[in-house]
Amino acid sequence: MKTLHNSKVLLSVMLACYALVGCSPTVKIEPPDKPIVINLNVKIEHEIKIKVDKELDQLLSDDELF
Amino acid sequence: MKSKLLVLFAALLLSFNAFAISLQDAKAQGLVGEQLNGYLGVVKSSAEAKSVVSSVNAKRKAHYEKIAKKNSITVSDVAKLAAEKAIQATKKGHYIQNKSGKWVKK
Repeated sequence: MKTLHNSKVLLSVMLACYALVGCSPTVKIEPPDKPIVINLNVKIEHEIKIKVDKELDQLLSDDELF
Repeated sequence: MKSKLLVLFAALLLSFNAFAISLQDAKAQGLVGEQLNGYLGVVKSSAEAKSVVSSVNAKRKAHYEKIAKKNSITVSDVAKLAAEKAIQATKKGHYIQNKSGKWVKK
């Protein structure tokens, strides 16, 4: 009687496992239909500022100019 | 003829030297000061101050234009950045322009 009960439990656990595996979510990745736009304006502006900063420092070291 | 030319040359050289007070001297004497627009300004009106201001500003403008062109930004943007730096770098006791455009000693 006990073995029968055990096999019943085993069966239901197995069934539950199957059900869980069957329900595993699928992840779908779709490419966007629009082109990907990354705005880099901020970085470029920053780079220019640093460059200008350097050049101005050179100018400021000139005694005849500043 | 030759001596006349020599005299003329010497006179030109002397007059040029008499007029050309150095920028650092002009600053120290309080004749000129840093403006908010990145250029030098006359604090005490005199021929010396004016000549220093015009010659220095012409040189500055040329440099600003070069930097502006190289980085494709406007000359006034370069001048504004230069003004900030120049005012910051001004020594104590030299003149700078305050926000309302008046000359103050730093």
